[in-house]
Amino acid sequence: MKILYNITAGNPKKLRKPIVFSVISNVINILPFTLVMQAVKIIFESYSTGAPIDTYKLWLTCGALFLSMIAMFLGEIPAYRFSFRGAYMVAAEGRAKLAEHLRKLPLGYLTSRDPGDLGNMMMGDFTLIEHCISHLMPQLVGGLVMPIIAFIGLLFLDWRMAVSMFAALPIAILIIAGTSKLQRRVGKRHMESKIYAANRLQEYLNGIGTIKAYNLTGERFVRLEKAFRRFMMESIKIEGFLQPIVLTAIACIRAGLTVMVFVGTHLLLGGELNVITFVTFLIVGTRVFDPLTSALGNFSEVHYDEQAGERIVNLLNEPILPGEKIAPEGHDIILKDVTFGYGDIKVLKDISIEMPEGSLTALVGPSGSGKSTVLKLIARFYDPQKGKILIGNEDMKIIEPESLLQKVSMVFQDVYLFQDTIGNNIRFGKEGATQAEVEEAAKRACCHDFIMKLPQGYDTPVGEGGSTLSGGEKQRISIARAILKNAPVVLLDEATASLDPENEVEIQRAINELIQGRTVIVVAHRLKTVRSADNIIVLDEGKVVEQGTHDELILQKGLYYDLWTIQQKSSRWKMSS
Amino acid sequence: MDKKKTGIPRLLEIAGEKRGLLIVSGTLSSISAVCMLIPYISVYFILAELLKNASNPSLANGALMIHWGTIALIGLISGIITMYLSGLSSHIAAYRILYGLRIKLSTHIGKLPLGYFTQTSTGTIKKTMEQNVEKIENFVAHQLPDLVNVLATVIVMIIAMIYLNPLLTIACIIPLVLGYSVQASMRTGEKAKENLKYYHDSLERINASTVQYVRGMPVIKVFGQTVHSFRKFYEDMISYRDYCVKYSDQFQNSYIIFKVMLGSTMTFILPIGVYLLSREPENIAFALTLLFFLIMAPGISVPMYKFTNFAATIADISEGVERIDKILSEKPIQEIKNPQVPKRFDIEFNNVSFSYDLADTSSTSTRKEALSNINFKSKQGKVTALVGPSGSGKSTIANLIPRFWDVEEGGIFIGGVNIRSIKTEDLMNIVSFVFQDSFLFYDTIYENILVGKPNATPEEVYAAARAAQCHEFIEKLPQGYDTLIGEGGTYLSGGEEQRVSVARAILKNSPILVFDEATAFADPENEYQMQLALKELMQNKTVIVIAHRLSSIQDSDQIIVLDEGHIVEKGTHEKLRAANGLYRKMWDAYTDAGEWKIQKGGIIA
Repeated sequence: MKILYNITAGNPKKLRKPIVFSVISNVINILPFTLVMQAVKIIFESYSTGAPIDTYKLWLTCGALFLSMIAMFLGEIPAYRFSFRGAYMVAAEGRAKLAEHLRKLPLGYLTSRDPGDLGNMMMGDFTLIEHCISHLMPQLVGGLVMPIIAFIGLLFLDWRMAVSMFAALPIAILIIAGTSKLQRRVGKRHMESKIYAANRLQEYLNGIGTIKAYNLTGERFVRLEKAFRRFMMESIKIEGFLQPIVLTAIACIRAGLTVMVFVGTHLLLGGELNVITFVTFLIVGTRVFDPLTSALGNFSEVHYDEQAGERIVNLLNEPILPGEKIAPEGHDIILKDVTFGYGDIKVLKDISIEMPEGSLTALVGPSGSGKSTVLKLIARFYDPQKGKILIGNEDMKIIEPESLLQKVSMVFQDVYLFQDTIGNNIRFGKEGATQAEVEEAAKRACCHDFIMKLPQGYDTPVGEGGSTLSGGEKQRISIARAILKNAPVVLLDEATASLDPENEVEIQRAINELIQGRTVIVVAHRLKTVRSADNIIVLDEGKVVEQGTHDELILQKGLYYDLWTIQQKSSRWKMSS
Repeated sequence: MDKKKTGIPRLLEIAGEKRGLLIVSGTLSSISAVCMLIPYISVYFILAELLKNASNPSLANGALMIHWGTIALIGLISGIITMYLSGLSSHIAAYRILYGLRIKLSTHIGKLPLGYFTQTSTGTIKKTMEQNVEKIENFVAHQLPDLVNVLATVIVMIIAMIYLNPLLTIACIIPLVLGYSVQASMRTGEKAKENLKYYHDSLERINASTVQYVRGMPVIKVFGQTVHSFRKFYEDMISYRDYCVKYSDQFQNSYIIFKVMLGSTMTFILPIGVYLLSREPENIAFALTLLFFLIMAPGISVPMYKFTNFAATIADISEGVERIDKILSEKPIQEIKNPQVPKRFDIEFNNVSFSYDLADTSSTSTRKEALSNINFKSKQGKVTALVGPSGSGKSTIANLIPRFWDVEEGGIFIGGVNIRSIKTEDLMNIVSFVFQDSFLFYDTIYENILVGKPNATPEEVYAAARAAQCHEFIEKLPQGYDTLIGEGGTYLSGGEEQRVSVARAILKNSPILVFDEATAFADPENEYQMQLALKELMQNKTVIVIAHRLSSIQDSDQIIVLDEGHIVEKGTHEKLRAANGLYRKMWDAYTDAGEWKIQKGGIIA
């Protein structure tokens, strides 16, 4: 069943043990109840036959009740262990599996997802699933044990009474099933309003500077106020609309008691039912509906949690990059008739580019021309939809992704630093690098000096995302990391150099250190910086329109010439009033 | 308002804001509780009738039994209806409270100095405003009415029981008291509190570890460290799991005893009952009483299951409320009682010293002055440029003008009026800012520009867009000005976003303009247009510009050179260049950087 598959994140077997032990403990829990029934029967028998009350039997029953208490205690132990301990075990296992899958997903997929979402899936969604597997489902199934046993037992006792007792149950099920569409719709609207409010809040917090500057704080930021209001209304609506459905179903189930009383009275007076049987039914009737009612509540909760499981299942189904071969020795990179797009929009259309080993290739062109996409394809963020990319004459698709990435260093605009010391952040480039190697790399990346000025030098911890350093400093640490990695291919975004204009010269030096003697592919915005490239590839709307050296391209008077002229103009700009 | 309250008293204070609705809800909830007992009572009366006629069942009063069966149904239906109404009112109360709290929080946050946001991650604030606030719903909408419900049930039942037979009543109460005291002894006290705190801490740790693993994944992959990273994450997760298991093992016995006790009321009632019954076996009235107890006892214990996790849940909610209160107790920027409105618009910094207050973050961070004794005047209609190495304090100066932070020493004056004496709203109207990271709202482009002047006519908006050189690209978008930005809408390039924010500032047309020379991120092909837009914006304003590219501010009326929070030089480009100081050094470095080539072999400068 799909729901079972989803709520266990694709592993329904995990349900087996918690359910089995829950059923066992629930069966044991019926004991005291049956014993009390026995006692009531003994009392009634004496009144119906006129014989004195059999106190001996009653004392025996009392003794049995005390024994059953011990049995209950023992029965609860495995149930508890499997629902609480089991919960953490299951979640840990599932998280490990998801984390393992995550590291094999293509970079392109990872960078396109909001990391907050993924983190939430890893923690939040698994908490829901853990709750579902270890508490809700066992309770749901366990709760049904007593009604089912009671129903079967009562059928043997008197089938007419048993049927009348549960007469309204099918109606309750029909009500729940029949309104499931409505429930889903209201639930979906509620979920949407919740996500919308969360996004507006994020916007409010991210844009707080602008919001303050334009006098839009608090209630004046209407969008946020409205989002909170809508979320409130939807939450109330869920309560107002869905609760009556559940409550009507509960009423139907519990109304079985009255139906049974009517039928019982009729049969008793007609002499077709004996007193003891009627008494049995009445007493069962006071107990049998509580577990059914809670099962109903659990069921709707399971339904809600199923969405969390579905999200995880979908992520686990996301395909990982293929390829097992070790990357080849050579590092010529060739794009052959490559077509690639995000969704339906084609970004690269049938392009072919050759980048010989040891050369410096620049990709230029207006924004949206696809130059960054070329870099991403070479790093195998994605695989092309048509055509192929060769490295050392081997199709990238058959190369093991990590082995390929070992050949490539990337210097992009967004730098991520781990919550660790600066030294360890650089050491990330090469596992087990010595302190001397780290410092050497740092020196070449122009960051040794500023690191030594920090209170604890290389042992200075940097924050989540490296927030305690300036953009340029972070950038240089990432370059040191790349220098330490010493990969033969370097992919570079030239704009990173201007992230921190005050330290531009230092970043520029660091970059020039990094690219010595390697195959370099650079996306360039400022054309001046790539004048001396071996080959400049000019892209426009996903196609290669020109290529050659700077001098050749200037002579052609094409797109490159236009871009060059415009940039020359803006660099002469001065500010004055 | 007493802010010291924590725990249940604080929760009740929050709930008290919707007292009326909650009283209605509580009343209905107790009525519902009593109604839901009626079916049990009906069964008891039917059983009594049967017992009386046990020897000859055909004499039993059929009409009476049907009567009680009907009453059971009426009790059930009224119980359910009142339950619904009670739930509805408590939920309305709860969600209104949550709404109110969220508005209160976001308003409060809007009044805090921006420094708050550099010390607190938006993730933490967001979590507080979403999840911690949401948890209050559980207390207001569920726990409060449930508490009333259970209390009503227990009180009604105990009164009835004592009336019938005090001895059996005691027998019935013993297991309940036992169960609760075992549970309470485990959940309260210093050790339990410590455990809970430890639990929250380790939860936070694993959360941080997850964020790091997920966020850092692209880097991890690029450096081929996935296995290593995975192992680290795995270890963190396993240690979290082991702690949780240990934590849950602690509660195993007390939890089970609690559960078994609640299910064992009859085990205690029956022996006493049998003992009393064996003394006077002929007493049919007592037999009936015993029957009543056996039938009704679960009526008490079943609702009590709702409180299995009561203490733990309350502790969890309170922990969240403490975090909410922490935000609310942050000091907002002070507003003066008799605000003044400046008539002229030159800006003066008079002996300003300032340091980012890091006092409460960590003890290791040293308090360093970001600005010391800053004195300068920026005249109306003139351009003042702030230059200096990174960390020299240029951006700090810009951030002090809109009171994103308040200065500690000295004062900032606009047209002779201290900015502390200006209403924040007025101050914001006087000053326009263009930040380096321009921020656009999730809305249409039109609305995004309109933010600058909410009552502007469409013509004014278009004119501003034209002046900011963005009219052309906007017209090219599928829905023009009505194009939605972000989240499934259109994403603009960095340069385009900046031009939209410049259009916003042009529309606002305030007499003072503070801007970060924002062209650094613009695409080169947009850069020229961007510069034209800025020129338009600067006409006849008091302009303070944080400059990165020295060439662009060569012609400024005044250049202020900062280094480590001090003004080291002041003057025009020509004068400063001749002075052979820091500015000269920067200028030389700058001209070098402009000549940078990505090149193998020779390294430049």
